[in-house]
Amino acid sequence: MDNTKIITAHWGKIDPLKISDYIELGGFLSLEKFVEHMSPAKAIAEIKKAGLAGRGGAGFQTGQKMEMVADNSAHEKYFICNLEESEPGTYKDRMIVDHNPHLLLEGLVISALAVGAHKAYIYINGNYTTQKELLEAALVQARQKNFWGPGILGSRYDLDIEIFSGAGAYICGEETALINSIEGHRGEPKIRPPFPTETGLFGKPTCVNNAETLSNIPWIILHGGEKYAKIGAECSPGMKLYILGGAVKKPGVVEAPTGVTIRQLIEKYGGGVTPGKYFWFAQIGGASGKLVLENELDIALTFSRDCPIPLGSGSILVVDKSANIYDLILSWTEFFRRESCGKCVPCREGTFRLHEIAERLQDGKISDRDKEALQDILWTLENTTFCPLGRFSATAMRDAVEKLDILND
Amino acid sequence: MTIEKILLEFSPVAENILPALKKINADFGFIDKLNAQKVADYFSTSLSKIYETASFYDAINIQKQPKVTIKVCFSTHCALKDAAKIITEIEKILQIKAGDTNRLNFKLERISCLGRCGEGPIVVVNDKIYEKVTVGSVRGILEEYM
Repeated sequence: MDNTKIITAHWGKIDPLKISDYIELGGFLSLEKFVEHMSPAKAIAEIKKAGLAGRGGAGFQTGQKMEMVADNSAHEKYFICNLEESEPGTYKDRMIVDHNPHLLLEGLVISALAVGAHKAYIYINGNYTTQKELLEAALVQARQKNFWGPGILGSRYDLDIEIFSGAGAYICGEETALINSIEGHRGEPKIRPPFPTETGLFGKPTCVNNAETLSNIPWIILHGGEKYAKIGAECSPGMKLYILGGAVKKPGVVEAPTGVTIRQLIEKYGGGVTPGKYFWFAQIGGASGKLVLENELDIALTFSRDCPIPLGSGSILVVDKSANIYDLILSWTEFFRRESCGKCVPCREGTFRLHEIAERLQDGKISDRDKEALQDILWTLENTTFCPLGRFSATAMRDAVEKLDILND
Repeated sequence: MTIEKILLEFSPVAENILPALKKINADFGFIDKLNAQKVADYFSTSLSKIYETASFYDAINIQKQPKVTIKVCFSTHCALKDAAKIITEIEKILQIKAGDTNRLNFKLERISCLGRCGEGPIVVVNDKIYEKVTVGSVRGILEEYM
């Protein structure tokens, strides 16, 4: 099953500006199958059977989320494709649009129709201007083919799709913050419950799914959930995009099953560590991800809660022994200080103080009082912040202290 | 284009507030108080509400910007590729400090990931993106704007 390609299957073989290229290779057959032979409930049942977990990082069961919205009796519902990709080291969703925006659209249309939404938004990172243009072109062509709009493929389904471009805020990747942003508010997260599946955009039930998640849907509809569930790790099956970066021979985005080990990703997919460099540690899942040392490289990456290393966005950063760790620590702490939305005190103050300590650490001026305070700040971030951003802002620093022993060097 | 004309491109519903602010920012460089009031009136909301939203996002300025804004990505991948040294070099050439906003001509700031990690280090000057920048190539880039 290792050779299955779901998301990257047509990459490089089609012109992203030509929907006809995608159709020639079997594109939109899945949408046809859904419209002509499937009920929304059946489609969601297949997605549940597939065990598809959200690819944005949290790993929530996609089928379950869709079912919650589908089962809601409200007439007005929304579907949102989350393309506000801004985790450092992560550009897989950008690559999806760059290489095959049509697959994403097909997945989006099927999913939106399955939950009973008549309006879908693609919330795209404001910096992805080229990708926005690609999507706009794909939307125009898909509209001509009657793949969205009123009476899709001659059926009674109708769906309107709109692209909403973000304005540069990492926190807007969090679904409630994203919804606030579309509504014209500050992109701050809201308390959950109520979850967006109940009270989302404009107070209506809303299903928010990551762009990569949606790109798996056409395959599942066409080949069945059972077949999908056999790919990769049993606890969270399927194919996943991994972004390899840092000191690897072949950096870039690769598609591999869930359940591969970090070592396999570096050795087999990344061609190994760059010649002349020596592996020190890897960071999994972007700036908010955990650090792994050599002895943890055989951990299989899954979306299961039992997986000791959260897969997150799928970014694998290899750091070699020549790297300047103080620059990296400054980068992490500064990123979260800048991106903290300011809503809750623990995160707003915690990320600020953490960054101050990182600066003193780099200058070699760190005091015993700093070391003590650092523990308190990390605890506060991990336990008392309002949303996951605050909690994750402590992850890398915590590992740097405990695994890399940065305070005693 | 006048602000009135820009606003008329958008129907006055909440979901157009952010797109309208972005468009005004793109045309005027920032949102001043007078324009913010016009946006507030157009969308039937308060001035404070508009400022609340406008001040939150990186892509929208609420203060007049210097002629040249230089942004250097300092997120993980770029930081590992010596972005810090590039920042120091720019500071040396332009005699400014990163994060200092009190300048008329140049502003230098560290920014978050733009999703071009494979092509780093990334430097953005007035929305033009430069990839694989090195300490040696910085001066050449800046000279275009000096």
